[in-house]
Amino acid sequence: MGFAAGLILGGISVGSVYALIALGLNLTFLTTRTLNFGQGSLMMLGAVAAVLFAGLGMGLYAGLLAGVVLAGLVAGLTEAIAIRPIARIGGSMGWVVTTLGVGIFLQGFVAKYFGSQALAFPSFLFSPRDHISVAGVRLSAQYLVIFAIALALVIAFELFLKRTAWGRALQAVAMDPDLASVMGIPVRKVVTLSFIGSGVLAGIAGMLVAQITGTVDSAFGFNLLIFGFVAAVLGGIGNTWGALLGGVFLGVAEKLVGGYISTAAEQGIAFALLMIALAVRPEGLLGEKEIVKV
Amino acid sequence: MNALRQVVSRLLGHPALALAVLLVLWFWPGFTDRGTVQLLSFVMLNVLLAQSINLLTGVAGQISLGHAGFFAIGAYASALLTKSAGLPMPAGVLLATAITALAGWLLAIPAGRVKEFYLAMMTTGFGLLCYEVLKEWADVTGGVMGLSGVASPTLRNLVVLGWKINAVDYFHLLLLVTALVLWLMRNFVQSHHGRAFFAIQASEIAAGSIGISPGQAKRRAYAISTAIAGLAGAFYAHLVGYLGPDSFTIMRSVEVLVMAIVGGMGTIVGPILGAILFTYLPEKLQAFAAYQFMVYGLILMVMFLLFRRGMAGAIAEPARFIPAQALKAVAMNTAPASPRIDAHPAPLADTGQPLLEVRDLSKRFGGLAALDGVSLALRPGRITALIGPNGSGKSTLVNVVSGIYTPSAGQVLFRGQDISGQTHHEIAAAGIVRTFQDPRLVPSFTVRENVLLGAHLQFRSSMLASALRLPSVLREEKTLLTLAEEAMAVAGLTGVADQLLDALPYGYRRLTEVARALMADPLVLMLDEPAAGLSEAELGCLANVIRHLKARHKSVLLIEHHMDFVNDIVDDVVVLDSGREIYRGDMQGMRRNPAVIEAYLGLQQAHHA
Repeated sequence: MGFAAGLILGGISVGSVYALIALGLNLTFLTTRTLNFGQGSLMMLGAVAAVLFAGLGMGLYAGLLAGVVLAGLVAGLTEAIAIRPIARIGGSMGWVVTTLGVGIFLQGFVAKYFGSQALAFPSFLFSPRDHISVAGVRLSAQYLVIFAIALALVIAFELFLKRTAWGRALQAVAMDPDLASVMGIPVRKVVTLSFIGSGVLAGIAGMLVAQITGTVDSAFGFNLLIFGFVAAVLGGIGNTWGALLGGVFLGVAEKLVGGYISTAAEQGIAFALLMIALAVRPEGLLGEKEIVKV
Repeated sequence: MNALRQVVSRLLGHPALALAVLLVLWFWPGFTDRGTVQLLSFVMLNVLLAQSINLLTGVAGQISLGHAGFFAIGAYASALLTKSAGLPMPAGVLLATAITALAGWLLAIPAGRVKEFYLAMMTTGFGLLCYEVLKEWADVTGGVMGLSGVASPTLRNLVVLGWKINAVDYFHLLLLVTALVLWLMRNFVQSHHGRAFFAIQASEIAAGSIGISPGQAKRRAYAISTAIAGLAGAFYAHLVGYLGPDSFTIMRSVEVLVMAIVGGMGTIVGPILGAILFTYLPEKLQAFAAYQFMVYGLILMVMFLLFRRGMAGAIAEPARFIPAQALKAVAMNTAPASPRIDAHPAPLADTGQPLLEVRDLSKRFGGLAALDGVSLALRPGRITALIGPNGSGKSTLVNVVSGIYTPSAGQVLFRGQDISGQTHHEIAAAGIVRTFQDPRLVPSFTVRENVLLGAHLQFRSSMLASALRLPSVLREEKTLLTLAEEAMAVAGLTGVADQLLDALPYGYRRLTEVARALMADPLVLMLDEPAAGLSEAELGCLANVIRHLKARHKSVLLIEHHMDFVNDIVDDVVVLDSGREIYRGDMQGMRRNPAVIEAYLGLQQAHHA
């Protein structure tokens, strides 16, 4: 019983990080109908930069903040160089390839100039050894904090969308950018901000994952991006609560498979889930089917 | 510069050049060291891989970010079949190719359901899943330790038919196989099968409208593409003698994609150039190896913006998709004189039986009834206009009849049989063809190639015959090409037949789509606002096509706002408003009908029933 509960809670915690990645993907999908295939490298960049900045003696928390800011800025830049110019090419092949290119470039850049060796990531929330006992089950404090942070961000994002002027502007752009532009909404700015926001979320998610794994390296991120995709697709791309639901579902499924079947299958199950979800219900659990216009 | 491209294109298309390259490569190993022979072998493998992704992504438009997975399946299958099952190497390679093709065909079933970035994600997932399986299924694949001792020239244990193969023999074998695959692929792409792949890439709905089944075309594209990747994998296994999961990561998939993009997708020569470049660079340029990822990343970032057609586009004219022999024969009028092929025997002159009958048809989108109990009948040799204000349900009617939407209620009868619920390509194959409000053609094709696409269902050659370019294939190509010339003449397109579609003004594109529909030899043709944006002269051409069909006892349904055009040409008129029929009869009666006047001028009167 304790074993199963431990797995499920661990899964919820890991899954909530996937949800954050999915949330970042959702944000750009809403405004531009694009997904950043370089998002995984942004997570890596944020975490690596945090380690490096902290190492420069600016303090751990300032380093973390700087890493998050950098991820946000690079995401904004990605929009300007890899997505906006490609918009005139119809279909999604163009931006899939260009954003993937940005991601691979970042990965290559970090590997070249900061080494492809794993960097130790400092513990900043709780040390991995801190535990809390709930109803006889020993829970990693780190997991609980990560879950709390993810939940708080999801709620904050949903409130932002529904309650603030910028959030409503973002919804208007999501609905119809041309119409939003005619109504005086600064579409350009909303799009750029959505990418910066998406990068910030990626940076935070990267640090939380690095917190769990303890190290970061240049290759870190691509698999995480796929887990983010899985979470987003399971929940329905563009849907905030869907992202959380999809992420937690994936996290729990992964941990249960790892615990009861084989840890070797833990990663594979996510990729298999992605393919099944896309084939069976591409609109996701909470998404709505798009009507094909002819 | 253009003249230079023409010269290069003519050179590249010349069999003598291919033969010369083949000879040079054949004798090259006699003058060089072992390392270079190995490198040349790798060039061949990369050419195969780049062509594999070219066929799937560049020709059929299905992006793949998981091609390393197929490469891996071919490699491990052949290694295991020869090593564990003890099969001889040729049998192992052939079986591995077949197994990979099967895997691709199976993946096409879920992958065929999704498009664009969903497909990119699915193939990424597939590639990563394959990598996980290689790493974790250690009992079979050797896990991270890999499989060693695969029969290969390096280990001096590769024996084929009692003949011990050394590195040079192996290269010769690989060279012949690669040349064969390239020849087959060139033939295939220049056949109706290959052109159908391009049609799927441009628009699945438009491809369906001329009877191409998108699902079938995709399954074929996957199976053929992955067979080539599997073949490359099998040859890789026997080239290096050792397989480990790290040769099949997502970066390998990206590398293959980079080769094809840089070389030029959708051409045969492009991926060859890309493969050569990216086999030599990391090998010869130490600096390149250090910056490899960054270079790949930069290429992916800028290539689509700066050189969409890649290296091939810079040095040669765009590829063409009709065999040159067939074109030349038709141009010189030496093609076999043939009676007009009628795919559907023409119905007798008006027997009073409608060809197409729509009964109480309704289509609802959520709470909105776009069609609300509409009935109409199209008789042979009659032209029916369907008119009504915007949003009255005209296009929805065409979409339901052509099978793009399923009806919410009611029936569509074609020659007395209920066809509602059939897919759009089945309906097109039955003889109901439509055009679109916005012309949907293949932008990289010439007018002639687009028009010939309409004859897809009249082609009978199998994929194998097309790939081998049997004489029967060329004969068929000539026969249908002659018909395409006729269709272009009727539509007034003869003068622009060799122009690329995306360089042509709007009116010509519209007429090209109409000529393509004519080529499909329909019994019922539904034209969705064909006159929009046409000049007076082009309107004349359009009227020509419609009268041509009428004279052959076909039925035409014409959605149109251009009243003068409609007035001159139609026999019957049906007027829709808010999804219901408000008038049926002739033009004169329509102009006086109060309900029609109200619908168009919007008189504020009580709702008509």
